[in-house]
Amino acid sequence: MSLVQIFDKYPDRRYLMFGGKGGLGKTTFSAATAYYLAQKGKRVLVFSVDPQASLSDIFERDIFGRGNIEIMPNLFACEVDADKRIKDYQEEIRQKIITMYGMKKIPEEIESYIQASSAEPAMEESAIFDAVVDIVVKGDFDYYIYDLVPLGHALYYLSMASIYDAWLEKITGLREQMREYDKAIATMKREEETEEDQIYNELLYIKERIGQSSKIMTDKKKTAFFFVLTPEEMTIIDTEKAAGLFAKYDVPLAGYVVNRVINRELLNQNIPVYLQNRIAMQAKALEMIDEKFGNTVLSRVPEFDSEIKGLQTIKKLAEEMFEEKL
Amino acid sequence: MAEKKGKKKKGGIIGFFRDFTYGMATHGMARHALKTRSSMEHLFILITMGDMLGIPILPPYYSLRLLPHVVPQITTWKRRMLREKDFVESMY
Repeated sequence: MSLVQIFDKYPDRRYLMFGGKGGLGKTTFSAATAYYLAQKGKRVLVFSVDPQASLSDIFERDIFGRGNIEIMPNLFACEVDADKRIKDYQEEIRQKIITMYGMKKIPEEIESYIQASSAEPAMEESAIFDAVVDIVVKGDFDYYIYDLVPLGHALYYLSMASIYDAWLEKITGLREQMREYDKAIATMKREEETEEDQIYNELLYIKERIGQSSKIMTDKKKTAFFFVLTPEEMTIIDTEKAAGLFAKYDVPLAGYVVNRVINRELLNQNIPVYLQNRIAMQAKALEMIDEKFGNTVLSRVPEFDSEIKGLQTIKKLAEEMFEEKL
Repeated sequence: MAEKKGKKKKGGIIGFFRDFTYGMATHGMARHALKTRSSMEHLFILITMGDMLGIPILPPYYSLRLLPHVVPQITTWKRRMLREKDFVESMY
């Protein structure tokens, strides 16, 4: 199967993700796919939440923390500033406390708690995935291409999400129990109806958000996850392991895209031994890829002699990737 | 004062007995329920804001959402948690 066939066959898969080890070309493929779909007349948003995001570099535009920026007709790019998001969020909480209780200043212990929260390890992942929910929930694009944070983060978040979910289940139960007590006390004291439990509502909201964010990555109908790999034995083995882990968390794997394949026709020319050896090494690795992943390998993209940067080279790469003149 | 007395009279003898039976039968129960309820409140804050005492449980991103709602209880909660020798024992 080819990438084009995948897109034709599953038009509902609107959340696309490229995952893989660092530096193999996730951002490049995200940009190229966005370019291809935009050329086909689809409205596409390619976004990244990685603090070291490289969408700005590949599109040669400074888009960090500036919202959705139009790169070309139908193609928008966005780099979320996770740090700023956390700061804004903390400020929002402060304001809420101040207005709720008519305070002039946040009590010291509360303030230090708010400050300490940003140092917690899970803070960034949660903020990132919460941002993703915000972006995707709006739903004003045909395709969302998620330039994923490194695999570890994604897996970490997915495993967190399932733990949080179980945890929230319990805590909502406790809150319900507390509510029963409130009601019983009110009846005993013959008081008016008790007021709405805002904490309970917040818990339901949190549950929904966590559910949505993990659903974006695990929705079999709407999500397609592509693995990026290069023809090197180590990468192949790592990718296979990662794919196993992702399968465990029900991430719908659409297929594999191989990057940096050196043109074998070079062998007909007078090339240095170094290059000959590399081609031989890749040939072996490509065989291994076929053996392991078979027809789930959707595309083999050649190694370019220049860096993929700017729309001109992105276009060239997209043509190779989708095997189609654009 | 006079108004209050007037109001009390309106309740009359039935009102008196109603309050009396409440005092006899339900007051103890209500007190007990209130006590349990406040223990639950503290347990709840513990599992959501536990990292204030060094027990991280809820993802901090989301526990911040709950923070505004428990601000008034934080001080009494902390005092209680630190006072109890075994706070789990005191829950019920």
